[in-house]
Amino acid sequence: MIQTALIIWLLPLAAFVINIFIGKRLPRKGDWVSTGAIGVSFLLSYYMLFQILGNYNPDFALQASVPWIDLGETFKLNMGIYLDNLAVIMTVVVTTVSFLVHVYSIGYMHGEPLYNRFYAYLSLFSFSMLGLIMWDNLFGIYIMWELVGICSYLLIGYYFEKDSAANAGKKAFITNRVGDFGFLIGLLIVFTALGTFNLSDIHQGVSQGQLSGGLLTAAGVLLFAGAIGKSAQFPLHVWLPDAMEGPTPVSALIHAATMVAAGVYLMARLSFMLSLDAMLVVAYVGGFTAIFAATIAITQNDIKRVLAYSTISQLGYMIMAMGVGSYTAGFFHLTTHAMFKAGLFLGSGSVIHAVHHAMDKTGSHGDPNDIRNMGGFKDKMPVTYITFVIFSLALSGIPFFSGFLSKDAILGGTLAFAMSQSNPIHYLLPVFGFGAAFITAFYMFRLIIKTFLGQPQKPELYEHVHESPKVMTVPLMVLAALSIWFIYTLPSVNPMGAAGGWFMHLIRQPISAVAAQLGHPVYIITEHAEHAAHVNGIIISIILAFGGILLAFAFYFWKKVDVEALTEKIKPLYNLSLNKYYFDEIYQATVINGLLAWNNLLKWFDENIIDFIVNFSAKVVRVFSAFDGKFDNLVIDGMVNAVADMTLQFGRGFKKLQTGQIQYYIMGALLGTFLIIIFTLI
Amino acid sequence: MSNLNSLQYFIPELFLTVSILVIIIVDLFLKKEKKVVSAYLTALALLVAMALSFQQYNFSPASLFEGMVVLDSFAIFFKILAAFSTLIIVFISLPTFRDKAEYYVLLLVVTLGMFIMVQVNDLLMILLSMEMVGVISYVLAGYNKKNLKSNEASLKYLLFGAASTGVMAFGFSYIYGMTGHTNLYLIQQALLNNNPHPLAFFIAVVLILAGLGYKIAMVPFHFWVPDVYEGSPTPITAFFSVGPKAVGVALFIRFLTTIVAHPASTGLYDFTQNIPIKLPELLAVLAVLTMTLGNLSALQQKNIKRLLGYSAIAHVGYMLMALVVFNGNAIVAVMFYAIVYLFMNFGAFWIVETITPKLKSERIADYTGLGYRAPFTAVALAVFLFSLTGIPPTAGFIGKVYLFSAVIKEQWYLLAVLGVLNSVVSLYYYAYVIKVMFLNQPENNDLIEVPLYNKVLTWVLLIPTLVMGLYWNPVITFTENSLGLFFGK
Repeated sequence: MIQTALIIWLLPLAAFVINIFIGKRLPRKGDWVSTGAIGVSFLLSYYMLFQILGNYNPDFALQASVPWIDLGETFKLNMGIYLDNLAVIMTVVVTTVSFLVHVYSIGYMHGEPLYNRFYAYLSLFSFSMLGLIMWDNLFGIYIMWELVGICSYLLIGYYFEKDSAANAGKKAFITNRVGDFGFLIGLLIVFTALGTFNLSDIHQGVSQGQLSGGLLTAAGVLLFAGAIGKSAQFPLHVWLPDAMEGPTPVSALIHAATMVAAGVYLMARLSFMLSLDAMLVVAYVGGFTAIFAATIAITQNDIKRVLAYSTISQLGYMIMAMGVGSYTAGFFHLTTHAMFKAGLFLGSGSVIHAVHHAMDKTGSHGDPNDIRNMGGFKDKMPVTYITFVIFSLALSGIPFFSGFLSKDAILGGTLAFAMSQSNPIHYLLPVFGFGAAFITAFYMFRLIIKTFLGQPQKPELYEHVHESPKVMTVPLMVLAALSIWFIYTLPSVNPMGAAGGWFMHLIRQPISAVAAQLGHPVYIITEHAEHAAHVNGIIISIILAFGGILLAFAFYFWKKVDVEALTEKIKPLYNLSLNKYYFDEIYQATVINGLLAWNNLLKWFDENIIDFIVNFSAKVVRVFSAFDGKFDNLVIDGMVNAVADMTLQFGRGFKKLQTGQIQYYIMGALLGTFLIIIFTLI
Repeated sequence: MSNLNSLQYFIPELFLTVSILVIIIVDLFLKKEKKVVSAYLTALALLVAMALSFQQYNFSPASLFEGMVVLDSFAIFFKILAAFSTLIIVFISLPTFRDKAEYYVLLLVVTLGMFIMVQVNDLLMILLSMEMVGVISYVLAGYNKKNLKSNEASLKYLLFGAASTGVMAFGFSYIYGMTGHTNLYLIQQALLNNNPHPLAFFIAVVLILAGLGYKIAMVPFHFWVPDVYEGSPTPITAFFSVGPKAVGVALFIRFLTTIVAHPASTGLYDFTQNIPIKLPELLAVLAVLTMTLGNLSALQQKNIKRLLGYSAIAHVGYMLMALVVFNGNAIVAVMFYAIVYLFMNFGAFWIVETITPKLKSERIADYTGLGYRAPFTAVALAVFLFSLTGIPPTAGFIGKVYLFSAVIKEQWYLLAVLGVLNSVVSLYYYAYVIKVMFLNQPENNDLIEVPLYNKVLTWVLLIPTLVMGLYWNPVITFTENSLGLFFGK
């Protein structure tokens, strides 16, 4: 199985190397190399999945490693693979989405000038992401973590001739660096305390109490900072909406399904070493992000930005789940979300593709992403429409779709957590969760109504809109199939919960090393609370989801409420949401301008104070320089040049020894022997 | 072990002997245009000899031919290294000497000599094996019979070699006089039992150093190097700078371990404890002198082959640092360095061999703008030169890390500092070549066509140079294992 995993991992790397060097000269510009490589990885990952399904063992784990850097006692590092159910399922998720995106891009990216480079980057990304999943130590995970960051940067800035795309790439990279700096410090704390990067050794070290108390919390929170950046959590969420400048398949793969989920995956991997305080930080950051991003999504008019904020919000859910100890639910949501959110992005890509072509045909200009240019596409693009509705139902948490199961598990988990804690403030978390669920249903159906239903808002474009080619619609259908509930609940087909299914069986929360250290669980969640939360959670979330959908229809389809008038009434709130709470402006005003001001201050200091000192001393020196001139020329220059000259002179001298006369050579050797004896005896 | 029984452990050497005879005979029946077959046969023979040596790898150490030679994994390591370096040289020589069967036969004979040189256990055998390598080397140096410089190189090499060997034999006679034995182990026993006169012993060791030092081009026994390196055909120069030198270091190590170091101790030279002279300090001084002289002389060179020749002297200095420390770590480091050095030095020489016929010049000034005229070749040369300097992520860096860490661990700080300073100096002349190739605009912009064969062989040398800069653990493990079975330890 380790060999299979290695092949899965390295095939995309091979494809990258081939495509970056000779892709341009290959037939079809090498798309088949990348697609083929990930295709084989995709098939092999299902082979691994069926193996773990055959085992059906929640504690399954495999590890293999080879020594990499060995500097004696001080520093030893292995290169290794760690496979457990979590890693295998994550591998399946990544290869599935990646493969479908590769296929879809054949249609979507057709005719792009840098087509081969696009595929090379996709392959490099797949390789890095798979490495991040499988590597058995934090050092390697960190390398891969940065590599996926680079790929993200390259692919966001794929249309680098556009300023907005180039800037978005930079923004993503720099914002991520802020989080990664925390990650790095966390990493160093762990290494200093435990002397290892290896995950299982860290587990052991923390269990034995070699890293505890405030430092353990600090390590947990700092490592979480990396996840905040990568998974676009508040307050580092600002890069993800801008990242939509990249090609839509990239948004689907990297910025919806896989890379942004890497933060959640990291928290899942490290959940064993989170202390109580660290977990609370994680839970509240996630919960707040979930509702915060959802409120922004309501007012956006760019189809991809709505989805981007929705992604941030859903990632918030997963992070919150990790924080309240609903490990399985969080990872479950990661898996289901990857499928339907990738589907939503690919569906939106299909719509954008159609509008783009319609604009080219009619010669009109405008933003193909703007939903105000759409409307009524239902009849023109039936496959895209139906799959889009399925994905939206899954995202909104409607029963019989995968999203309902996972979201409900998270909501139940947060509710149970709140009910088990003595402090009522923790009810905030379920409130965040349920609130976000309601808003999610609302904005998703606002999007559907504005895009697919109602009257065409731009009839001249509408005439030229066509369904996308098969190579793009088939991936949509596959992803739609993967959003149906029973895929995840087999062998049971209960649409209300996945508790009896294979997924919940295989993914089990690892034993907390912190609990082992403390001698008691980090949280106590009572069985009573768990049961009550489950039943109540289902009822509340169904009511809220349907409520959100109904409200969207009332607002935008039946027009029972005058939206314009309502918007006018709550103008300040509306503007706040439309402008994303002015976060970009705040960062511009504080962080960026602050740094610029600091730079200017340094510049001023340099120009006035330092230059003054320099000029003043120059004047002083000038007075002495008449005397000093000669001294300088003779002694100082002499010394500087002497070092260089001496080196060269020595060389010249040595060269002279090489006379070319053999008798001198032999004399030299004999004399040398003699001198050695003489000198060592003195 | 008796002579007849020993033969079964001598299969690689016997195989080489048979191959030499077979190739000479086969060559007689080959038509003019088919003569290249003997080159391929040579390569095949070397591959088989490597495989046969590798097969002996797990035998426990044995003493053969009544104690004249020993077989241990240390020797096998260097046998494989020697055969491999000759193999690369065969491929490097192919474009120049396509149909010269006798040339390849001579290479095989040198290889046989090197095989014996790494497993000798007797003063007489040391002398014989060194002469076996030496005499053929003189012939190879003068292989371009019509070239005056080549002739000169051959003659100088011969005279200098004869003088040094004479000095060494004189040293041997001292040892024999003191102990009455020629077998290294018997000498060791005798030295342990009846304390030798310290001064006589020391003089004997220094005299022997002259012979060994000449083989590995240690200062002040290095004078022959620049002239011989410049005059010999380039493939032979490359060969001299790696193969015979590596086995010379191996012989040096074996000699010091058995004669000078105490068998029971792990490290330094116990015999010298009785006398006021410290051999490690002497070697440290010689190491520093060797690397400094090599580097400073290289600064002045205008000819790329001479530059590489002096750089080869400097690298001997680095390797000698390990002999100063002389513990397990240091020996492993120097063995590892030999592997790394093989790839990067052959790489540099191979590029010179590729480019020289195109430019019709060996002058560095003529390399101007090579980065534009032959981009791949120039980049490859840059990598090899960076590796020789010891800049990450190349193998040369890792090799130096191991060498210097071994030196620092035994607290030879001054030696380490001087070594690092020397690396800095070397950066100047290596980087100068790179600067000329990439930063200076060429007068002549014509692209240089590099044949596919040359590119492939460049890759063969380039890949290990880069890979061992990132992942060197298997090589280090192999090296450590090879030292594990040292005869008599």
